Amino acid sequence: MLFPTKFDVIVIGGGHAGTEAALASARMGVTTLLLTHNIETLGQMSCNPSIGGIGKGHLVKEVDALGGAMATATDEAGIQFRILNSSKGPAVRATRAQADRVLYKQAIRNRLENQPNLWLFQQAVDDLILENDRVAGVKTQLGLHFRAKTVVLTAGTFLAGLVHVGQSNYRAGRAGDPPSITLALRLRELRLPVLRFKTGTPPRIDGRSLDYSVMVEQPGDDPVPVFSFLGDPATHPRQMPCWITQTNLRTHEIIRGGLDRSPLYTGVIEGVGPRYCPSIEDKIMRFSGKDSHQIFVEPEGLNTHEIYPNGISTSLPFDVQVELVRSIRGFENAHITRPGYAIEYDYFDPLGLKSSLETKMIHGLFFAGQINGTTGYEEAAAQGLLAGINAGLMAQEKSAWHPGRDQAYMGVMVDDLITRGVVEPYRMFTSRAEYRLMLREDNADLRLTEAGRSLGVVDDERWRHFEEKREAIAREQERLKSTWVSPRLLPQEEAVRVLGKGIEREYSLLDLLRRPDISYADLMTLPGAGESVKDERVAEQVEIQAKYQGYISRQLEEIARHQHYETLLLPLELDYREVPGLSIEVQQKLNHHKPETLGQAARISGVTPAAISVLLVHLKRGFSINNDKKIA
Amino acid sequence: MPKVDIIAAIATAPGRGGIGVVRVSGESLLDLARAVLGKDPVPRVATLSNFLASDGSVIDQGLALYFPAPHSYTGEDVLELQGHGGDAVLRLLVCRCLELGARPAEPGEFTRRAFLNDKMDLAQAESVVDLIDAATTEAAKTAMRSLRGEFSHAIHQLVDALVNLRMLVEATLDFPEEKIDFLAESDAMGQLAGIKTRLEDIFRRAKQGSLLREGMHIVLIGQPNVGKSSLLNQLAGEEVAIVTPVAGTTRDAIRQHIEIDGVALHFIDTAGLRETEDEIEKMGIARAWRAIEHANVALLLIDAVKGVAPADLEIISRLPTGLPLVRVFNKIDLVGQGPAAISSGGVTDILLSAKTGAGMELLHRHLLQIVGWQHSGEGLFMARERHLSALREAREHLDMAGAGDCQIELFAEELKLAQRALSSITGEFGSDDLLGEIFSRFCIGK
Repeated sequence: MLFPTKFDVIVIGGGHAGTEAALASARMGVTTLLLTHNIETLGQMSCNPSIGGIGKGHLVKEVDALGGAMATATDEAGIQFRILNSSKGPAVRATRAQADRVLYKQAIRNRLENQPNLWLFQQAVDDLILENDRVAGVKTQLGLHFRAKTVVLTAGTFLAGLVHVGQSNYRAGRAGDPPSITLALRLRELRLPVLRFKTGTPPRIDGRSLDYSVMVEQPGDDPVPVFSFLGDPATHPRQMPCWITQTNLRTHEIIRGGLDRSPLYTGVIEGVGPRYCPSIEDKIMRFSGKDSHQIFVEPEGLNTHEIYPNGISTSLPFDVQVELVRSIRGFENAHITRPGYAIEYDYFDPLGLKSSLETKMIHGLFFAGQINGTTGYEEAAAQGLLAGINAGLMAQEKSAWHPGRDQAYMGVMVDDLITRGVVEPYRMFTSRAEYRLMLREDNADLRLTEAGRSLGVVDDERWRHFEEKREAIAREQERLKSTWVSPRLLPQEEAVRVLGKGIEREYSLLDLLRRPDISYADLMTLPGAGESVKDERVAEQVEIQAKYQGYISRQLEEIARHQHYETLLLPLELDYREVPGLSIEVQQKLNHHKPETLGQAARISGVTPAAISVLLVHLKRGFSINNDKKIA
Repeated sequence: MPKVDIIAAIATAPGRGGIGVVRVSGESLLDLARAVLGKDPVPRVATLSNFLASDGSVIDQGLALYFPAPHSYTGEDVLELQGHGGDAVLRLLVCRCLELGARPAEPGEFTRRAFLNDKMDLAQAESVVDLIDAATTEAAKTAMRSLRGEFSHAIHQLVDALVNLRMLVEATLDFPEEKIDFLAESDAMGQLAGIKTRLEDIFRRAKQGSLLREGMHIVLIGQPNVGKSSLLNQLAGEEVAIVTPVAGTTRDAIRQHIEIDGVALHFIDTAGLRETEDEIEKMGIARAWRAIEHANVALLLIDAVKGVAPADLEIISRLPTGLPLVRVFNKIDLVGQGPAAISSGGVTDILLSAKTGAGMELLHRHLLQIVGWQHSGEGLFMARERHLSALREAREHLDMAGAGDCQIELFAEELKLAQRALSSITGEFGSDDLLGEIFSRFCIGK
């Protein structure tokens, strides 16, 4: 049966990527359908019950700056909030929250159901409808045909998912959900480049069987932080602490004793797992010198006793899991409610994607989330948002948008994926961002909200809030720049108190604020400093921008130097074997990657500056160069 | 319009031409030109000028030509300094420009810029590509050559130490929830100090003597009166280029340095290697023998009239095995023979007359061939200078990193920039490589 409505955008999948994608395109005003195999699991946190962290928190703030759901939903569902790296500089500070799974799911479901232009439908998708090299819709399990201009696929770990517990394995999308087998087979037939990854989760435990008195309590921050730029701590539910315990030598001995039945160490699992999120058996084998590993005991929610022991992800047989869990201090009588497992799944080589997350092979088909070889809710949400925006833009016949590496962690992530590919599940770290000092949590709105507004994903309330803040910052910066402190008028003891020593010439307040050891609050106590701004976030922004100014202007200069390359487009159909002067190796790399711009080409490993010069010369000679099409 | 950095290079082929040109190109060259010339440059007029060092002393005198953009070879501001000096002076001029913010030009970069700024027509495009291709191959070769031995070893040690420190810093930033404070445990400032010491050490080595220090070490064997002095003077050309003339102590007498085509040649004169009771002289002789261990070639100078002397045979027997030998038969004018070069079995015979100059060109070419010098493309000097300028940039960032109460993320930033500067020597080192180091060293993750 052909479904009567034709949609602009169909999103397949209701995880963190799918929900952000559907919400984004719907916010842009295009008719969107979200197809999921189960409406009850929309917004499900399949792995640990936490959002954010270093690099990841940055992504969440960016999603928020573009009107996405993750930050506000976390503010409604978060039961413990902390700022990591709070003793270090603002660029590397990041927010992390424990979330109540049920509240989080509700918060997401609520947004989906109330979003104009967005429709939900529960049905597994089995196939794509293709017309030549363009996607035209999808077919579901029941044989329903939905037509759409664009399709965003966010299948997570469901494509040909295979769950392992010890030597036994079964097909599943995650524990308790069916996998997408038919769709996976169809996609393989389309000859999209498929590879396998692996990930895992720890056994879940009934908190009533734990002895918290022997663990270290880890409370949340006070005052309680918020995630969203529009957030208010008053919307947070009741707060709870986490707990910390650790493994010991006996735990390690038990694990070693079970390795002959480990799917990871007997070669049953072929997919590559992430090195930064290893299973406990991996940690013990790779770092045999360590006597103990930390375990974070995280509550799953306010109204459940289940806890998530973060740090003992495992696919060992269940009897070994029981024994190893009970060897841990405080876990002696632990009752496991769900076994830990590893899951292998299909992902697609992200080299096959454009920076809009559209596949290079099939027009109108976008991929987002774990299907692109990434891991993490935040990485998924950021890609979903971007794919949703670009599917929406395409449906409106507008050109694609993506933030640059100098603009957002999102931009860093997508650029890394499409120019370097992945060798293990990709996770965000701040060390991936060369412009780390500019890409901060605190200024995600200043970096992205204006772009989001013109894309149509930022609503009036957020925009008004943003404009007020931006104006207040500019006003205060101007005030500080034009308020002068003179050595004649400043009493020596005041200068010493605030500045550490007297001043020998006139300084503007902004000059003084640039000094590393002078805070905005201290500066405002200086006689003649005038009235400080009331909004803390404005004061914070003024202070941070002043402190980092030297570094940031240097980075801006560098960005300006490279910007040129980012606007030089390389045609996807270009056969690099026909470009004389390129080495065979570079020709092969470029033909494999098919970069969209000269900037992307330059970032492909093995493509030399000389090769870029050769490409420049050839672009200049005028083959199919189209510089009218601007990349934002 | 994107900002364009300033590039500088010697524009004339290395050699003994009377005039050498240093070309500088980039956006707004006025400041640089003023600093070098000590006055405002006059657009499009050849002006006689002094070329000044940073202390105001005169490096050379010559013609300055200033072409403001866009009417220049590259389409950018271009400054050409036409000096009288030989290669050594030209290098000093380039170094002066680098001091003032220029960077050494990539091979073919002037031409590339000219092309990109529409200063060349389409027909020339192919030749530009060829040029880039050839020049990069050549540059890669010269860079390899300049990076051999101790210099290379020291740089790699430096980079390893830097990577180690960056790994600790980045791990501290990206994994705050791990139990360890990577940084506090491993004395970051101490490590930084160690890295800076290594860097200073490299500079000292690279700069010792002069930039011409590296080159070919030649064992010169031959008795008095066989014509060594005339040979060296002939080799060095009309302008006498004996850097360390025979004078002073006995030690100096054993080693002589001349320069041909910009290549330093170090002669170890074995005539000084004789039995002696003099303590100072003994030390000098021991040092000469150590130098011989590292020699690139042995040159036996024979009086074509008299033949090989027995004392020379003894010296030859003591030379390191495998050292190539060139036999130079001098004074062919006295025996009525023509110049010739004959190679067989690892030994080359060159027949010449140092007095008349006949056959000198054969020796000249043969020596340069051994050192691997090519007239085309970029020379050893530019490759080395690029390394040094990368090292200088790295040093600036390391100094910033060590300055005062730097926040850790700013510390990390400076270390990253320092390493990026060094990547032009060691190859690309990306965030993935760094993360790889972190994951292999620390057990990270929940």
